[in-house]
Amino acid sequence: MHPISQPVVKKDHTEKMAGSAEYVGDFYSTDMLHARFVRSPHPHARILEICYPELPEGYCSVDHRDVLGENIVHVVEDDSPVFEVDEVFYVGDPVAMIIGPDPQRVKALAAATEVRYEVLSAILDIDDSDTVFFDYHYGRGDCEDAFSEADKVYEEQFSTGYQEQAYLETQGMSARYEDGLLTVHGSLQCPYYVHGAIAKATGLPKGSVRVIQDYTGGGFGGKEAYPSFLAAQLGVAAMKVPGKDVRVVYDRREDMEFTSKRHPSRCTYRAAVKDGRVTALEIDVRFNSGAFTTLSPVVLQRGIIAAPGVYHVPSLKVRGRGLRTHTVPTGAYRGFGAPQTFFAIERLMDHIAADLGQDPLDFKLAHAAKKGDPTSTSGIYHYEVPLPEMVDKVCEMSDYRAKRAAYAKEQGRRYRNGIGIALWFHGCGFTGSGERDFIKAVVGLHKHADGTVEVLACNSDIGQGIKTTFSKVVAAELGIPYDQVSYGNPDTSRVPDSGPTVASRSLMTVGELLRRAAARLREEWVDGQEQSVEEHYHEPDFMLPFSLEDFSGDAYPTYAWGVSAIELRYDSLTGANDIVGCWSSFDVGTPIDLAIVTGQMEGGVLQGLGYSSMEQMATDANGRIRNNSYSDYIIPTSADVGELAVSMHVVEFPFGPYGAKGAGELPLVGIAPAFVEAAEQALGARGINHIPLKAEEALEYLGAAQKEAHR
Amino acid sequence: MVDRYAPTSLAAALDLMAHEELVPYAGGTDLMVDEALGRPFVFLHGIEELKGITDNEDSFIVGAGVTYRELLAHPATPELLKEAVAQIAAPAIRNTATLAGNIANASPKGDGALVCFAADAEIVLRSAETARRVPIASFYEGRGKTVRRPDELVTAVIIPKKHLAGYRFEKVGARKALAISRVSFVGLMTIEESVVAHLALAFGAVEDVVARRPAIDAMLIGKTIEAARGAAEEYLAAWDEAIQPIRGRVSAEYRKQVCLNLARDFITCRLG
Ligand SMILES: Cc1cc2nc3c(=O)[nH]c(=O)nc-3n(C[C@H](O)[C@H](O)[C@H](O)COP(=O)(O)OP(=O)(O)OC[C@H]3O[C@@H](n4cnc5c(N)ncnc54)[C@H](O)[C@@H]3O)c2cc1C
Repeated sequence: MHPISQPVVKKDHTEKMAGSAEYVGDFYSTDMLHARFVRSPHPHARILEICYPELPEGYCSVDHRDVLGENIVHVVEDDSPVFEVDEVFYVGDPVAMIIGPDPQRVKALAAATEVRYEVLSAILDIDDSDTVFFDYHYGRGDCEDAFSEADKVYEEQFSTGYQEQAYLETQGMSARYEDGLLTVHGSLQCPYYVHGAIAKATGLPKGSVRVIQDYTGGGFGGKEAYPSFLAAQLGVAAMKVPGKDVRVVYDRREDMEFTSKRHPSRCTYRAAVKDGRVTALEIDVRFNSGAFTTLSPVVLQRGIIAAPGVYHVPSLKVRGRGLRTHTVPTGAYRGFGAPQTFFAIERLMDHIAADLGQDPLDFKLAHAAKKGDPTSTSGIYHYEVPLPEMVDKVCEMSDYRAKRAAYAKEQGRRYRNGIGIALWFHGCGFTGSGERDFIKAVVGLHKHADGTVEVLACNSDIGQGIKTTFSKVVAAELGIPYDQVSYGNPDTSRVPDSGPTVASRSLMTVGELLRRAAARLREEWVDGQEQSVEEHYHEPDFMLPFSLEDFSGDAYPTYAWGVSAIELRYDSLTGANDIVGCWSSFDVGTPIDLAIVTGQMEGGVLQGLGYSSMEQMATDANGRIRNNSYSDYIIPTSADVGELAVSMHVVEFPFGPYGAKGAGELPLVGIAPAFVEAAEQALGARGINHIPLKAEEALEYLGAAQKEAHR
Repeated sequence: MVDRYAPTSLAAALDLMAHEELVPYAGGTDLMVDEALGRPFVFLHGIEELKGITDNEDSFIVGAGVTYRELLAHPATPELLKEAVAQIAAPAIRNTATLAGNIANASPKGDGALVCFAADAEIVLRSAETARRVPIASFYEGRGKTVRRPDELVTAVIIPKKHLAGYRFEKVGARKALAISRVSFVGLMTIEESVVAHLALAFGAVEDVVARRPAIDAMLIGKTIEAARGAAEEYLAAWDEAIQPIRGRVSAEYRKQVCLNLARDFITCRLG
């Protein structure tokens, strides 16, 4: 392994371990005002009137009439308001806010605010949706031909549920308007997204808005878009009470019910098979976007690009729709649309293999793309596709093949084992030409006279270790000690826009810019002098230009790869399972810090395991999230996996720093299909095409299998 | 207004409770989850008299201040209790939570309470003036309701050791740690000279109070193994009829099915 992979003490280790790191909820000022939302209790209604209770001195209301700029929170499109005006579109949709010094009183006043509504009919299920936010199509080859010539055609439907990011720190933001400057700080992933959203909502020029990321207790995508909403709302509020801090920190229920989570999906896949090979796929992907578009277009794009999985299938016809419902807007969560479609394609391949009497793993390997093959969007896999080696490694770690054969035979009376394996990728960085056309990242390095170097970028450390890895890259390139490089929490008044902390891009893309900046600084280095360098993004010139019109070209410069085998042991008396083990091989290029990467891989795997089964999020008759606390929304702990083993495979990416690719999202993406494949074997069931798979359902499958065996 | 007391003797605590309605606070692991609590607390952690564990010839007595961690560390703690306690929550909770709190909380999902039900434990209640022992089956009046008077404290739990040998404990949670039971089960059966000498099943998390039906268990007690085998279906049918599961995050049907599966498996394993 590369020497840079050698673990170091994380940059934020001491303050986090000592408890001195300040999160937004930790700031204290004597004249702090607290904010509480007045939210819609209806999934869809017309607002007739807002009646505030008499507000004591020092308290005030905030609603759309206070929005001095545009009543829009800019995400990708511009359809979400800061505060609703005359209609509400989901339970929790913000109508107004009460602010004041005593949080209990603020809460009571918000509760006492009466909004009169005329209730309108609501659409809660995507099957009933009459609004298609996005409708994408792409394809290649001749599907019609392939289907008409097929030996056999398979058609299956798949569905996946919500998933809550469950970051430890809930959403929180604080704003203060003073001397013409609006300063906002809080828990967030993307300082410049927030910056742009505030400027738009307040009408302030960009130079009058300052955004600072506080220490952030996890994001997983949940703090990509949502903080823009909170910041716009609080910014509007702060301008009403100049000179005072206005803050909101969500409680867990509010956070779970009203902030974005993973898109539930329904997919239909049709496959044409000829001579034992899949010759064509016709794929229809539908995501529940909730009430507003927010990040749905980009989530959906990634989802449909990944829809055929790692396989080379000659003919493709793919459609993807983001549909509106009167439910909480869904958004970014680690994997960003890909876990849904990888679930579908992996399950489908397993089922086809089983039907053809083939070993599912061999069947998948026979279809896997290789270097030089076209991608789903007629781009090219420019670099080695290391799946065969990774599969070998995982088979060796897990004893997959022997177990798969053994568990196909008669099993013990009470416990039934099963093992499954899945193959996947994660496209590294933004989809398409986003980096080149929209983000245009800029980074800087500032060298002080004493030889210490400061990283100037706006990527936020949300626990993933970017402070550490950026610093390592810069130190290595400069040939100076790691301790001599620093990277603080980004502050837009001091650092350039290096783009958002999303899409597994920060280290690969921004880290490479920093490496280049460091290389320049090394050349220009003069002892004892203060020096600065800046570096701008250029798209690597090997890429086939991507067109979003017809989804053609290189959607990603390169791919991170994942293979996981999961073994389950089901209890036929209770339907509960033990996760005996999860063995994975991941290729994220060069790990810039092996300890950090291993932690990321293990954590992502665990989130994938939760997504597969225990993380169940139901809604009530109004589409409101019912599982709104940690006693109702169960996420896995380290006690839930017997053996959690991760092995790193390294295919270096020449355009990433020291060969690094994207790492953050990868490990979660393909866990669910491996889990369900194992469950199918253990339960003696076929065609389990949904997640989360509940213990109750498992017990039913076991009962059915037992009856079958008796006959 | 005083909103908390931290007495250092049992007499002082009971004296406070004789004069004012207070909420006893042991480990606080049930209480701290409860957001809306109006009344002041009386903290029990400073009361040395409640911290004893006594291992008698025929009973194991757990003081109300004994934490789960202490129970797990004690050499005389019955295996059944240890097995159940080891699956409660996680180490941080077990460092402070108590068996008495689990029982006094009166949730049908309490794993410690379940064991005590199966073992026919007795609850020791003391007030400044009175002392009494209540069989656990009579301690509850419903979900969250007990016969404890406001001036009384649970001071100890007495667990008879006689029937604990042939036990089985099962817990179905939503995950492996930090999980409240969705269904829990204790089975106790002793066979002496080919005769069922004792049988007690108890099911947690299915009804408002832990389900324990001595009258049903009596159907097999005193029977030879052979005869008990013959009566097993009737016995299980009686449980099927008796259990009326509550609805919750998991369906009533699932809860019931799991109870019956566990009962059947236990009975058939023991009777062969
Ligand atoms: C994350 C988490 C996980 C959990 N997992 C489990 C689990 O797996 N299984 C399980 O059974 N429980 C579980 N619990 C619940 C709880 O930990 C247990 O019920 C515990 O035994 C309660 O003991 P305590 O000492 O903390 O009680 P407390 O919270 O102090 O008290 C509980 C109740 O009993 C009353 N009380 C306490 N002591 C006395 C006394 N001496 N006399 C009279 N009344 C008294 C209190 O007033 C209160 O009403 C969990 C709780 C949490 C927070």
